[in-house]
Amino acid sequence: MLRTLISQELLSLMMSARFLAAVVITLLLVVANTVVLIDEHENRVASYSQQEKVHREKAVAAETYSRLELFVERPPNPLSLFSAGLDKRLGTTVEIYHGDVPLISSISARNLGNPYLNLFSQIDLVSIFQVVLSLLALLFAYDAIAGDWESGTLRLVISHPVRRGSILFGKYIAAMICLLLPVLMSLLMVLILCSLASSIQFSTTDLLRIGGIVWTTIVYLSLFYLIGLLISTTTRRTATSLMLCMFLWVGLVLVYPNWSRFTINPVGDMRAERQSASQQIEQIWEEADREEQRFLAKSPLEGDPPRFNIGYSGSSSSSGRRYGFNMMKVNEASEPSVPHFQNYQAFIGTTYIRLAEKAALIREQRLARTDIRQATWDKRLMKFSPASLYTFATSAWAGTDLKGMLDFSRATQGYRQMLIDYLRDKDAFASRQWFASDQGAVDWWDLPQFRFERAEVWENAQRALADVSLLFLMNLILFIVTFLIFIKVEV
Amino acid sequence: MIGHIVKREFFDHLNSLRFALTTLILTALMVTNAVVHLQSHPDKVRRYSENITADQNKLQSRTELYELLKEGPGKLYKQPSALTFIADGGDAFLPNRGTTNWGSWSRSTGFGGGSNVNVRSIWSLDYPTANPNARDLRPKATKIDWVFIITYLLSFIPLLFTFDALSGERESGTLRLCLANPISRPALLVGKFLGTLITVLIPFVFAVLLNLAVISLDSWTQLGIADWGRLGMILLIASGYASIFIAVGLMVSASTRDSRVSLVVLLIVWVALVVFMPSTLGTLATKSMSPVQTAHQRKMARSSALDQINDDFNKQMANKQEAQSPTAGLLNQLQELAKTSPEAAKKFAKENEAELRSAMAQLESQEVGPVELRIRAELVNKDVEIREQLNREHLRAQLAQVQRARMVTRFSPAAIVQYALESMTGTGLNRHLQFLEGVDIHIRQFRNFITETDRADTESLHIIGVPDGMSKKPISPQALPRFEDKITFSDTFNAAIVDMLLLILLLGVFLSGAFLVFIRSDV
Repeated sequence: MLRTLISQELLSLMMSARFLAAVVITLLLVVANTVVLIDEHENRVASYSQQEKVHREKAVAAETYSRLELFVERPPNPLSLFSAGLDKRLGTTVEIYHGDVPLISSISARNLGNPYLNLFSQIDLVSIFQVVLSLLALLFAYDAIAGDWESGTLRLVISHPVRRGSILFGKYIAAMICLLLPVLMSLLMVLILCSLASSIQFSTTDLLRIGGIVWTTIVYLSLFYLIGLLISTTTRRTATSLMLCMFLWVGLVLVYPNWSRFTINPVGDMRAERQSASQQIEQIWEEADREEQRFLAKSPLEGDPPRFNIGYSGSSSSSGRRYGFNMMKVNEASEPSVPHFQNYQAFIGTTYIRLAEKAALIREQRLARTDIRQATWDKRLMKFSPASLYTFATSAWAGTDLKGMLDFSRATQGYRQMLIDYLRDKDAFASRQWFASDQGAVDWWDLPQFRFERAEVWENAQRALADVSLLFLMNLILFIVTFLIFIKVEV
Repeated sequence: MIGHIVKREFFDHLNSLRFALTTLILTALMVTNAVVHLQSHPDKVRRYSENITADQNKLQSRTELYELLKEGPGKLYKQPSALTFIADGGDAFLPNRGTTNWGSWSRSTGFGGGSNVNVRSIWSLDYPTANPNARDLRPKATKIDWVFIITYLLSFIPLLFTFDALSGERESGTLRLCLANPISRPALLVGKFLGTLITVLIPFVFAVLLNLAVISLDSWTQLGIADWGRLGMILLIASGYASIFIAVGLMVSASTRDSRVSLVVLLIVWVALVVFMPSTLGTLATKSMSPVQTAHQRKMARSSALDQINDDFNKQMANKQEAQSPTAGLLNQLQELAKTSPEAAKKFAKENEAELRSAMAQLESQEVGPVELRIRAELVNKDVEIREQLNREHLRAQLAQVQRARMVTRFSPAAIVQYALESMTGTGLNRHLQFLEGVDIHIRQFRNFITETDRADTESLHIIGVPDGMSKKPISPQALPRFEDKITFSDTFNAAIVDMLLLILLLGVFLSGAFLVFIRSDV
C-alpha cells in the first residue's frame, strides 16, 4: 500500500512544472559556477606553487642563520569548490621565525590579485543547494496536505483502509526522492567537470567528505520539506500555506543569517581590548631589553653598551622580534669581540624564543576574546536558521571552517618549533655563522620542510556532527509534531 | 473606472495574510538597519574628522617647501556619506584613503660611501588597497542596508502579490465576470498594476518612515536639503524597481492558466535573477578577462624601468665629473671594473690608491653646482613620474576589470538597482571613482602650488626635486591647497543616471509585455 502511495506521489511530483524548473535552474547554476570555480581553483593552485618556489629560493639564499627569511604558504583546499568558508577569504602566507609565534592573525594576504573584485560576492555549490533546493522543498510541501484537503482527495484516500501515518510517510519519501535527484545530478556534473579539468583531483577521503556534504544536504532539505508539511497540515488553505512558506523561507534563508550578526555585540570595545593586549606585549619586550642590559653589564668588553664593532640591522613588530646580520668579512678590529658576540647572540636567541612564546599567550587570549569570540557568537546566533546550520556543517566537512584554519596555524606553530630545534641542533645561535658569512655561507640542505595535512575525515565528521545532529533533531521533532497533528485533525 | 478597480484591488490585498507578513518583515528589517546605523555611524564620522585633523596638523607643521614636496600632501580621506544606511556599497572593500606613502629611497652619488646621502626620493602617488577579508574570521554575511531590503524584498513581494492576479481570477472565473462588464482589458491591467503598486509601497513607505524616524534621533547624521532630494530619488528608484517586478508578475500570470505554475516560474526566475545573477555573472565575466598584473610582475616591471633611469643618471654624473676634474675618470674606471669583475677592481684600486683618494677628496670638497643639481632633480622627478605612471596603469587595469564585470551583471535588474542606489547614496564604485578623480585634481594643485611658490622666490634656483635647488623661505600654512571631499547632488545624480534609464527601459519593456500578453490571451 505504501509503495503505491509513494509511486503515485512520485509521479505527480516529477511531472510538475516546479520539479522541472528547479532541476533546470539548479543544473544551470551548478554548471556555470563550477566552471568558474574550477578556473579559480586552478589559478590558486598555480599561485600557490609559484609562491612556494619563491619562498624556497628566498630561504636558501640566506647566507647567515640570522638572515633566514622563511615563509610558508597555505595550500588551497579543493573542497572549497563545495563550501568556500574561510578558505578563499583568509590570507595564505605566514612568516616563520624563532622570535615570533605564528597565530591565525599572522596569516597575511600577499597575492591579492584584484582586490576590487571582492565587491562581487562569491558563490559556492553549497549555497546553490541552500537557496534553490530549499525553495523547491517548500514548493513541494506547501500543498501536500492542504491541496488534497481543498480538492477533497484527502477524504477520498482516507476512506480507504490506509493508515494516516503511511499517507504522510509516502508523501515524505516521494518528495525526498525528488529532491535528491537534482542533488545527485549536479554532483555528477561537478565530478565530471572536475575530472575534465584534471587540476582538481579528489582523494578517497575527499570523496568521503563529499559524501558527508551530500548527506548533510539531504538532512537539510528534509527539514525544509517537513517545515512545509507542518504548515500545510495546520492550515486548511493552500493560499495561506503558500504565503507562510514563502515568507518563512525568505526569513530563514536570506534575512535571518544576515540579520542576526547585528543584534548582539559580544565583544564590547574591541579597540580597548587590543590596546591592553599590545601594552602587555610591550611590557614583555621591555623585559627583554632589561635582560639584555643585565647580560651586557656582565660582559668583559668595554663600553656602555659594550661595543662589538659589528653592525646591527633588526626588525621588530608588535608580536615578535629578530635581528638579521650578514657580515661579509669580520675585520681585524672586531675579531676579538666575536666570541663575546656569539655568546650574546646565543643569549638573545633563547630570550626571544622564550618571550615570544610568552607574548603569544597574550595574543592568543586577545584573539579568543575578540575575533574568535565574535565569530563563535555569530555562529551561535545564526544557528537558529537551518540554512546557516547547513553552511556550518558543510564547511566543517570540507575543512574550510574556522577550525580548519586553526589547524593550519597550529601546523605553522609546529613548523616554527621544528625550525628552532633545527637551529639548536646546529648550535646556530652561538655560532659564527649566525651573523657572519666570512667562513662560508650556510648550507640549508637539511632545513625541515613545511607540510600541512588537512584534518582526518573522522575529525571533520566530528566537527560537523553537532550541527548535523541539530538538523537531524529538528527533523525528528517536526516529523513527530506533523504526524500527531495530522492524526488528530478532522478531515 | 480604473480608480474603482484600483480601490477594489487595494482593499482585497489589505486584508490578506501576505500584506501583514510584508509589513512585518519590512518593518523589522528597516528598524534593524536604523539601529545598526546608529551604533556604527558616529564612530565612522568621528574617525574621519580625527583623521582629517591629524593629517592637517601634520601638513601644517611642514614649513619648508622641499619638505612639503618630499612628504607629499598627506593621506587624503574619503568623506563618509550621511546616507550610508541606504547603501553600504561594499565600502569595506574600497579604500577610504587616496594615497599611500612608501618605498622611499635615498642614495649617495659620491664614491665615499653611505655617509653622505645626496639624492633622496620624493613622494609619489600610490593607491592603497583594502582587503578586510583577509583578517575576517566571521561567517559571511551581507549588510542589511536599504539595498539589501529593496533588491531582495521589493522584488520578491511584488511577485507574491501578482502571481495569481490574473491566473487566479481566471481559475475562479471572476475574470470572465469582470470582463463581461464594459471594462477594457488595458484598464483592468492598469488597475491591477496600480493597486498592487500601492499595496507594496504602503508597507515599504511605512517602514522607511520608521527607519528615518529612528535615524533622526542621531545627532551625527544630519540630513541637508540635498540629502532629502537624494532620498526622494532613491524612493523613486525603489518604486520603479518594484513596478518592474509587478509587471513581470502580471505578464507571467496573464500567460498561464494555473496560478501554481505561474508562481513556480516566477520564483525560479527570481532566484536566478536576483540571488545568483549579480555574483555569478560578475565572476563569469572576470574569468574571460586577462588578469591584472600580480605583485611580483609589477615589481619586475617597475625595477626594470627604474634601472633604466638610474643608468642614465650614472652616465650623466660620470660625464660631468670627468669634465670637471681629470682624475675623476679613474673613479669611473674603477666603478666600471667593479661591475664586471671585483678581483680586477681590487687590483686596480691597490695600484692607483693615492690618485683615487685624492680624486675622491677633490670631488667631496667641490661645491655642488646647478648643473649637478639639475641632474639629480631629473633623477628624482623621473622616478616619481615612472612610479606614478605604473601605479595609475595598474589601478586603471583593476578598475577596468571591475567595470566590465559590472557591465555584465547589469543583466540582472537587482544589480542595476543596486548600482543606481549606491551612486545616489554616494557610496560604492562610482563614488570611489569620483573620489579618485578629486585626489588627482588635488595633487595637481598641490604640485602647482609648490612650483608657484618656488617661482615667487627670487633667491631660489628653481630646481624642483632637490633641497638645494628650491626656495628656503618658510611657507604659510594657510596658503596650502586643502583637500575637501564633497558629495554633491549633481555628482551622485550623474553617476546614477545610466542605471536609472536602464530601469525605466526595463519597466517599459515588461509593462508592454504584460499588455500584449494579456490582450491576446483567452479568458
